[in-house]
Amino acid sequence: MDKLVAQYSRPPHQDEFYSEQEQRELTESLPPLSLKFNLPPVDDSRAFLRAMTDDHSNPNCPIKLAHGTTTLAFRFQGGIIVATDSRATAGNWIASQTVKKVIPVSRLSRGEDKPSNEPTPGLLGTMAGGAADCQYWLRYLSQQCTLHEIRHKRRITVAAASKILANLTYSYKGMGLSMGTMLAGMTPQEGPALYYIDSDGTRLPGNLFCVGSGQTFAYGVLDANYKYDLTEEEALELGRRSILAAMHRDAYSGGFINLYHVKEEGWVHHGFNDMNPIFWKTKLEKGEFSNVTSEL
Amino acid sequence: MTTLTGQPSSEAIGYSFSKATSAPIREHSFYPYTDNGGSTLGITGSDFAILAGDTRSVAGYNINSRYAPKVFKIGGDDETGEGAHILLSVVGFAADGQALKERLDAVVKMYKYQHGKPMSVMACAQRLSTIFYQKRFFPYYVHAILAGLDEDGKGALYSYDPVGSYEREQCRAAGSAASLIMPFLDNQVNFKNQYIPGSGEGHALEPKKPEPLPRNTVEQLVRDAFTSAVERHIEVGDGLQMMVITKGGIEEIYYPLKKD
Amino acid sequence: MSSPFDINGGACIAMVGKDCVAIACDLRLGMQALTVSNNFPKIFNYGPSTFLGLTGLATDVSTVSDLFRYKVNMYRLREERNIAPQTLANLVSSSLYEKRFGPFFVSPVIAGINSTTGKPFICGFDSIGCIDFAKDFIVSGTASEQLFGTCEGLWEPDLSAEDLFETISQALLSAVDRDALSGWGAQVYIIEKDKVTKRLLKGRQD
Repeated sequence: MDKLVAQYSRPPHQDEFYSEQEQRELTESLPPLSLKFNLPPVDDSRAFLRAMTDDHSNPNCPIKLAHGTTTLAFRFQGGIIVATDSRATAGNWIASQTVKKVIPVSRLSRGEDKPSNEPTPGLLGTMAGGAADCQYWLRYLSQQCTLHEIRHKRRITVAAASKILANLTYSYKGMGLSMGTMLAGMTPQEGPALYYIDSDGTRLPGNLFCVGSGQTFAYGVLDANYKYDLTEEEALELGRRSILAAMHRDAYSGGFINLYHVKEEGWVHHGFNDMNPIFWKTKLEKGEFSNVTSEL
Repeated sequence: MTTLTGQPSSEAIGYSFSKATSAPIREHSFYPYTDNGGSTLGITGSDFAILAGDTRSVAGYNINSRYAPKVFKIGGDDETGEGAHILLSVVGFAADGQALKERLDAVVKMYKYQHGKPMSVMACAQRLSTIFYQKRFFPYYVHAILAGLDEDGKGALYSYDPVGSYEREQCRAAGSAASLIMPFLDNQVNFKNQYIPGSGEGHALEPKKPEPLPRNTVEQLVRDAFTSAVERHIEVGDGLQMMVITKGGIEEIYYPLKKD
Repeated sequence: MSSPFDINGGACIAMVGKDCVAIACDLRLGMQALTVSNNFPKIFNYGPSTFLGLTGLATDVSTVSDLFRYKVNMYRLREERNIAPQTLANLVSSSLYEKRFGPFFVSPVIAGINSTTGKPFICGFDSIGCIDFAKDFIVSGTASEQLFGTCEGLWEPDLSAEDLFETISQALLSAVDRDALSGWGAQVYIIEKDKVTKRLLKGRQD
């Protein structure tokens, strides 16, 4: 009899509250942080996105996304130097001069910007192309790297991390993502490792990369002075000088020079410095940039 | 009808030699956005943040409304926004802005109900970024600015592009008159291109260092920025809605602008 | 393909003060993103206190400035006096309208002091010669929106020559720092009744 009653009765408050999952579904049509994206209700969603956001083919497109960059990274005997500018442009409009284009990956703690001379363990990613694409997917990569660390009890290799990102960009190929990123890190298995990954799905290991609209200018300075045996001081100065050259000649690069050094124990931040005083110091003290007039 | 091509148009004559008589199939492209104009602006201080927006809403050359607010309280207890601790401004396509605001509001409220504490501005900023990116392939046509107070009680301001790249800043203008307001703010808030008089000659002159401004100075700058923008931009005008967030709560100020 | 007005980049601005006017320009010449020269002044002198600023397509800037040098020289020989800014304005307007259906891609700006009345004069044009007489300031170039914002915010009536220099310099430098296609240094002319001061501004080199 009890069995029969239990079968046809319910606990008194069963339907009083929504479960957490149901609550979420009530407020959002999609679960949070899912990788399912809303698509426009048209046949060719790529053409739609291009018409709305590609300011290269259509300068009057309604939604202008932030673009334009010079970033570089190179390996040398003391580790890896990573340097970037800080400008974001939408068309000819300079949307920001203070973008942080070096993004720490593989740690989710938030102390990134606290000044510290201690090296911080983890990888570095750089940002070129669509600002949102780089920020979001490097954040996604951080999540994956942290999960890897928890599961396997050791830090992810740069090769593995770059492969996660490359597989991801490859799966979205042709959808309109725009990113050219470099991953730099040092692990016991690999030593200093540097990879280039872009939104076409390319993944290349290498010694030296420059990415962005100012890449040619940076390559010019970097290739002329690069040696693997550079000292730490020389390497930092070369990174700074290469970015400076690109900022000067490329209209879509500028702002602040962001410098990082990746060592065995982790990365060290070497400042986020305004290019203008550095430029005039270089010109007046070393006699470079003689093309710029300083007297009437 | 006169033509410059030398060939009389068949419509004018009334007959045609072409085979098909039916009109070519018209294709209507899918265009789900309208630019509702307007401009917003945010500036932070040492213990406050100000978010302001004009209240005109336009479509083309028509004015839809002279009072359509662009600044909203997020995470309030009721529809007046009482108890909110975060501000959001949206400019661009008003419908997308409204949808975005409602979604963020729901997220911040659910966070409070589930965790029993209000969402921090930093967490809310990152959450808003992912909300934007959910629609990466069908973007919200919105430039958003988020404001509040950080853990140390300092003013915090985050600005977004339409697909969710974000950055913490001291000041930011968004919307149709952003290009007019932003360089003025660089000069007056961050003291860009300003040097300390008498600190040297020529190259030795020292640049003026930016420092947090007092509240009445910031309020005056916001008013000046908008009265300037109204003079030179047709989509900006009617009224200025200013929200000031301090540890005492949110204060709303309305200030009339030119209605022409 | 971008507009011919936006290929080379550049900005120009004129402002009225009390018994003085100022005209200023940036120094960049670019080809889209590439900066080719940082010493390309866009202000030209056509009399003791008459100046013309030209922004737009660089080849047209050179051509139009030379064309007006010829026309103004011819005027001076025929009339045996210097051209007044108002006269130059009408000359520019009618000359540009001659090319109504194949215009020069320039946006000129005139600043000067009329030597007979002693009154300051500024005006601007579109590329086919419509004159915009203004009492306060005129802007042109790829940074024109930014210049409108800074000028509207910083300018006030009856500025002295020294204050006018400070205002026009701050307005120009802050505006070009928000435009990718202009900047790389600037030149300012302060024009008073019988004195013209030319100054070079140190601007950001990015």
